[in-house]
Formats: sequence, C-alpha cells, structure tokens
Amino acid sequence: MSEQPFIQIRDLHHSYLRNTPLEVTALRGVNMGIHRGESVGIIGRTGAGKSTVVQHFNGLIRPLEPGKVIVDGQDMSDPKVDVRRIRQKIGLVFQYPEQQLFERLVGDDIAFGPKKLGMEQADRRERVKWAMDMVGLDFEEFKDRFTFSLSGGEMRKAALAGVLALQPEMLILDESTSGVDPRSRRELLERLLTLHKEHNLTLAFVSPNMEDVAGLVDHIYVMDDGRVVMSGTTREVFSQPEKLRQHGLGVPQVTEVAHELISRNIPVERIPVTVEEGVEEIWKTLNS
Amino acid sequence: MEDFELLRHITIGQYLPGDSLIHRLDPRTKISIFLFITIAVTFSVSYTGNIILVLATMFLVLLSRIPMSYVFSGIKPAIPLIIVLAVLQLLLYGDGFVPYGMQSKTYFQWGIIHITNGSLQLVIVSAMRFVELLFLTSLLTNTTTLADITHGMENMLRPFSRFGVPSHELSLVATIALRFVPLLAEQLEIIMKAQASRGADIAHKGKLQFITTARQVAALIVPLFIDAFRRAEDLILAMQARCYVGSQGRSSLVRLKFARIDYTVYGLSLAFSVAMLALRNHFPF
Repeated sequence: MSEQPFIQIRDLHHSYLRNTPLEVTALRGVNMGIHRGESVGIIGRTGAGKSTVVQHFNGLIRPLEPGKVIVDGQDMSDPKVDVRRIRQKIGLVFQYPEQQLFERLVGDDIAFGPKKLGMEQADRRERVKWAMDMVGLDFEEFKDRFTFSLSGGEMRKAALAGVLALQPEMLILDESTSGVDPRSRRELLERLLTLHKEHNLTLAFVSPNMEDVAGLVDHIYVMDDGRVVMSGTTREVFSQPEKLRQHGLGVPQVTEVAHELISRNIPVERIPVTVEEGVEEIWKTLNS
Repeated sequence: MEDFELLRHITIGQYLPGDSLIHRLDPRTKISIFLFITIAVTFSVSYTGNIILVLATMFLVLLSRIPMSYVFSGIKPAIPLIIVLAVLQLLLYGDGFVPYGMQSKTYFQWGIIHITNGSLQLVIVSAMRFVELLFLTSLLTNTTTLADITHGMENMLRPFSRFGVPSHELSLVATIALRFVPLLAEQLEIIMKAQASRGADIAHKGKLQFITTARQVAALIVPLFIDAFRRAEDLILAMQARCYVGSQGRSSLVRLKFARIDYTVYGLSLAFSVAMLALRNHFPF
C-alpha cells in the first residue's frame, strides 16, 4: 500500500483540562498510519491514551501544535475543515453506545443520522433497514418498538445501527462490545468483518484486551502512557509476550500456550493468535 | 472550531489541592467567611464599598494561591448573559434605584429608554458584585474538598437540629447536588461527542449557535436525564446496601477542630463584614 494513508497521525500531543492547574497529559507524541480497507487494533491499558487518539480520527478533538492529523487528505488542524463530512465517513462508536439513544421509537433513533444528512424519507427507510440488518435487529419487528423498552443488548445493537446508518467508510469501536453476551458479540463482529471484506470497510478496534482483537485485525498498535510503544502485524506483536507484559498487557491464551510449549522444547512452527490456528498448530505438532 | 471539553469551563466547585493558609483553615471558618462577606456584598451598593470588597476578596484569592486566570476562566461562558442583563438594566431600569443620599439625575431619555445616574451605578455595582461573589465561591470551593464542606455544614447546622432541622440530611443533599455537577458535565460531554459522531452539528461555534443548540436539545437532554436517573438509582441502591439510615447514631471519621488561625480569621472577617454593613451609607460616593 503505497498511497497516502486514510488516516495519518504525526507527533500528536494532547492534554485534558489544558491551561488549568488540573491539566493531565494524555498523548505524548503519537505516530500512526491507517490505510483504507485495513483493520487495526489499538491496544493498551486504561489511561494509555487510546480513546484520545481515536477521537482525533473524526475531529472530536482537534490536533494541537505541532501535531498533525490528516484524514482522507484533509488537515484536521484547519478550522475550515467540514467535520460533519469527516464524521459521516468515519463512524465512531463509544463504550456504552446505548447512552446516546433518545428517540421514542427505535427506527426514528436509527434514522437520526441519515435525517441529518438530509436524506429523503424513502431512502432513509432503506438505510435504516440496511443498518438494522447489519446489526441483526429485525426491521419489521423492531422499528416501531419503544427504544427504552429494549433489553441492554438490543439497545446497544440499535445504537450501533445508528452509526452504521451513515454508511461510514471507516468504523471505530471504542470498547463498544464489552458487556455484550458472547454470542451477540460474535455475530456482530462477523457482520462487521463481512462488511470489511466485501465493502472495504476500514475498521479500528480499541480494547484493553488482546483476546478481543486477535482474530479481527491485521495491524496492532500498542499504546502506553500516551505513546505508541509497539506496532506491527498481529503475529509480530504477539510474538513478544514479555514486552507486552511490561506494558500491562497479555497475549491471547492460545498464544501463551504456544510460548509455553516452546519453552518446554516442544516445537511450534508458527505462533497462533486464534483458537483455530492453535488447533491447527497442535495438530501439526502431534502428527510430526 | 468546536470544543467539547466542558469541564475546562467549570471552575466553581473544582477542588484544587494546595497548602496555602486558606487551604489549611477549618471548613467551618471558610463557610463563615463566605457567609459573612456574602452578606456584606449583598448590602453594599456604593462604589467605594464595592471597591473595598473587590480588593478584599481578591486579597483572599491571592492568599489561597489559586491562579487568577483560573478563577476568571469560570465566567467566560456566562459573559454573553451578563452583558445582555447589564444592557437591559442600564436602558430600562431608570428610576428604579436612587443611590442613597443623592439626587436622581437623568443622562438620557428616549421613549422607554431612560438612563439615570442610578441605573448606571446599578450596572457597575452589579458587575463588581458578580466578581466579588465569583471570588468568594472560588475561594470556598477551590480550596475545600467536598467532604470537608459537608462536614463543616453539618457541624454548623447541628445546633438547629433541636428545632427539627435535619442537618445531616441537608448537608447530604447539598453534597450530592454538588458532586453531580462534574459527573453530569462529563456525561454530557460523552453524549455530545456521540451525537456529533452520528451527524448532529453540536458545539459548532456560529452566529446563531443557540438556535441550532436548541434544536439539538432533545438529543442531549433525554440521554442526560436517563443517565442522571440511573446514577441516582445506583446511589440509592449503594446506600441501602450499606444500611444507610441518615444521621441516626452516625459518628464521623474527621473531627473538626478550630485552631488559633481559625479564630483569628473568623474574627477578622466578622469584624470586616460588620464594619462594611455599618458604614455602607457613610461612604463618600
């Protein structure tokens, strides 16, 4: 991929409560590049600066001097940038997205974004149907339900549909699937991966947990104390469990098993990062 | 450019750790200073009196070593409102107020617009009072933790419990109310960001900003209220789980004690306020 990255971040610094005695530094010089169609993971313990970084992606936070954030070729430090267009392209889902629901009916809430885009009634309906399909909410069954009568999981799906309804080119999930039951979570992630593969949707997963992102991403950025401390393909990053532990993180259990096997002189050809790969490796080792 | 960081603009109620003379005072002393001087501010209408009060409160803020810029950054969001009020007062108040011992003088009259020396003084004095009260509130809340304020209030109200004043409950209510301000601000910030992320044009600084804001209000207020109720319910549950029954048989971890400096400061501020009240009609202008 030689073209310019979709999102490029150079030497980004940020502090909260700036110019007050309570100032806290969140970012101390972050560099990142995310290409169109990529799926990346941004990993780090709490307070590492993950959320602060991703909020720069869609202009919720603007870069401070001397940092640069270039999104889709546009310099985000320019006050004239049309952030609403950027936000339509880059959907950001927060940790408890169900907190953003406000309309009485589920369908209306999901239609909020498309309505803001100025879409016609009929197109809007199609868009809402598509988005609900994506998250696994049945259109006919759920569109006229009262938003606040939904279960927690359904509310979260509805909220996610509300962001998807903008049909973004990139979707950022900032710990948005924590607390969702395993089955719904897997279904949701599978649908997102399908979008990623078939429609070239760029994905970014933010999580403190390696296991969460292992099978989903091509590239991992590990953050600690406001900096990117490790960066590489999933396998590259997971092959350094010691270094990860230094930054308060672990590797997926299956990767840990592989490292343990190696330390006991049992050969493992390729370090697995998902259960499927682990099974394959163990099978190979057993047969050889 | 928009700015979502709401807490940056809320300075009142934000405790700033420190070791100044004011920080070390007993919370009851600080609450008393606050009350005494607030009363003095309320009854002072003369220019001289307010100049003295501005200087006195500023002196206290300097003693507390809170950065002046921080104190003033708290008014920034309120400035448009203050200006509108001041202009209305200046133009329409007219004869409503005649300074003590002075003749009413009309500077300008046209239709209902009526500017007198009284209304001019009222506007200037109001602005000064605003600054004085801002200094006082910052002084109390920026140097005292919420827990200390609560203890102090409860302690000061205790003598009234004989007459059925629920001192503990009152101070608890006040604490919860104050504690919720930064929490709700933080939550509002998250909601604003979430709605902006799905197409709402929130926090866009424009000429008709308040109109767009009003239109977006449902998208912000509904989630904010739901969150506030949820937090309140959580709080009730947590209190019940710990068998909270109010003040009944409850002792306190912190024992407040007046030190010599407390008596001194208490005495000085009382004397100052009494003097301000006694002299309020005797200042030259």
